[in-house]
Amino acid sequence: MSEKTWIYAVLEAVQHEMREDPAMTWIFQLTPPVASAPGMPVINLETEFGRKRVLNTTIDENWMASTVIGAGLAGSRSATYIPYQGAGMPFQVIQNHAAKLRHMTGGKASMPVVFIIELTGQTPGFAGQHSDYELDTAYARMPGVRCVVPSNPYDAKGLMTSALRSPDPVVFLNPAGLRSLSAEVPDEVYEVPLDRANVAREGSDLTIVSSGPGMPVALDAAERLAEDGMDVEVIDLRVLNEMDTETLVTSASKTGHVLTVDQSYYTLCPGAEVIARIAENVDGVRYKRVAFPDAPPPASPEMFLWMRPNADHVFDAAKRLVG
Amino acid sequence: MDHTTDDQFEDNMGDARGGTSRRGFLKIAGLAGLAVSLGSQVAKANGEIGFWARDLSDEKLIDMYSTILRIRWHERTMADKMLDDPGYRGYNHFYAGQEAVAAGVCAALRNDGPFDQIDLVYSSHRPTGHAIAKGVDLKLMAAENDFRATGLNGGYGAQMHLSDPSVGFIGADGIIGPGPVLAQGSALSFRARGSDQVSVVFGGDGTYGTPHFHAALNNAKLLDLPFIYIMENNLYHQYAHYSYSCPHTNIADAATAYGIPARVVDGQDVFQVYNAMHEAVERARAGGGPGFIEAKTYRYYNHWGAPGARVGELGAFGYDPLAITSFRPEREVRAWMQRDPVDICRNTLTAWGVIDAERAEQIEADIRAEVDEAFAWAMEQPLADPEDGLLHVFAEGRVPARQFG
Repeated sequence: MSEKTWIYAVLEAVQHEMREDPAMTWIFQLTPPVASAPGMPVINLETEFGRKRVLNTTIDENWMASTVIGAGLAGSRSATYIPYQGAGMPFQVIQNHAAKLRHMTGGKASMPVVFIIELTGQTPGFAGQHSDYELDTAYARMPGVRCVVPSNPYDAKGLMTSALRSPDPVVFLNPAGLRSLSAEVPDEVYEVPLDRANVAREGSDLTIVSSGPGMPVALDAAERLAEDGMDVEVIDLRVLNEMDTETLVTSASKTGHVLTVDQSYYTLCPGAEVIARIAENVDGVRYKRVAFPDAPPPASPEMFLWMRPNADHVFDAAKRLVG
Repeated sequence: MDHTTDDQFEDNMGDARGGTSRRGFLKIAGLAGLAVSLGSQVAKANGEIGFWARDLSDEKLIDMYSTILRIRWHERTMADKMLDDPGYRGYNHFYAGQEAVAAGVCAALRNDGPFDQIDLVYSSHRPTGHAIAKGVDLKLMAAENDFRATGLNGGYGAQMHLSDPSVGFIGADGIIGPGPVLAQGSALSFRARGSDQVSVVFGGDGTYGTPHFHAALNNAKLLDLPFIYIMENNLYHQYAHYSYSCPHTNIADAATAYGIPARVVDGQDVFQVYNAMHEAVERARAGGGPGFIEAKTYRYYNHWGAPGARVGELGAFGYDPLAITSFRPEREVRAWMQRDPVDICRNTLTAWGVIDAERAEQIEADIRAEVDEAFAWAMEQPLADPEDGLLHVFAEGRVPARQFG
């Protein structure tokens, strides 16, 4: 166990799998697979595994994603790190090939591949094109492609290990705003399941459901609500596809109040699916949904910070919902 | 197509305004082997490109020099503000070092007039130089880059989404890929409506590796579109040398393979860029189809810069901290700085007798004052009204706030 940044924890998982499996490849551009941590060896996948296995390539994210699918179809595990500015470019090949090939071939096609899709736009100034407030939903509703979105370095490492070991294609949403997080993370390899939400905080009055870049806000608000006398349960979805309905239903049955928090556009945000699943299974629950308005994030910090859900918004919404 | 020989070139020079002194310069430069003469010598050796810049008025030549200076001082001022002014918030993908490309290209375009008659420019994530050269207002741009409500785009876009259709600057684009295809789409509309406008895209060496590069060239050729691709090859895309993504030394070879007339020019010499652009524009206006110009150039600064950088730390815009695989050797940076587009242009105009040292100094002093005034104006502009973030999603109306639950 030692203090590690988000990216160090993630690359530690990748390094372990690449050492175990000499056929595995990693494709990147812009973001070199390099990380360091105090008192730990520097990780540099490119120098360790060489350029036949770790490739710095063209600015062509569709090619990157297509290439790892091809590697997977040939029997090799493969992963690609899609940087934020091209996060939507590989959509078509993931949506229409990775998601459907196993089913279309009657189970013959297998793609043990991971698409790490960076989500940005969580800090002011990024403006429209470098802000990803739709990709969680977009990549979460493809049958055949698992979709995870970690919110802390521990889960990021464990989910990466599970994703790389999965026989299914996995979209690993990597919230860039959380990359600066550091935490105590085990040095040894471990898995975090690809089908379980995490109850990040237990409570009985209200269930707050969030994921990835929404989690810091959700936890901050829960802390303040607790100081204000409200006993809040916080669920970190962690996995968007297949969503863990059971954990949601269990919590909502207990609290009777559900507040979803998403750093994602309001329409069809993950919270919309959360509320639908609970509503189908539990009667009498009251709901609220905090999300980014259906407008591209503007460059101006004044506009952006007003629009982006923060702990004040969540605190006030919780008070109105429960109070 | 101009087939000017060296002799014709010398003869014709006498007809151009200030021709005698320009011819004299070329002879002296040729003897002395001055670095500043390189561009002109290459242009002469490549007999296929006419030296069209010789026909330009002194006023136009000084305009081109002023554009180069305006861009250079804009970039330097912005970098200084990032390092020194805690109140400054703008970021930038710096264009310093590449000024002659934007200035030479836009000098050959129609920049004034009704929107349905002016030429259109599609820019990149490195747009400030293109914007200035196309005629975007310096004050409005400076305000936009600092997220001000009265900026060029109301603070919605900032540096990577600058746009001013009134001067034909369709705009910056933060995404590598679609730009050239969008630009040839505009060219398609020009052809359909019988206009002689041309559509121009600026793309870096990184665009070669995108599928859009190839789709744009292939279709522009098939459809004979008035579309010109300006390949600004500054050797590095993001943090990788272009050899990581392109097998050609000259990316222009790829355009030739698509049947498109292609030129490789010294992107540090504004007149070489202008000559090639003039040729491509004339051909496209006359219905001769697309053109491709590869300008060999270099950016002096890091891939990008932002406030919070500190002098001497991580090179403060000189060194790319993410360039772990492929970094820019310091010797390479310094070697390119020896062939500075400002110096080359000033020395050429001085040798041609268009300006003298005193005039050159005065021009630069005026430009610096203009740039300083633009930044000072920008910093006094109001910040955006937060609730305006809900506007401009559709042509009309305001979308609902959703952040309050």
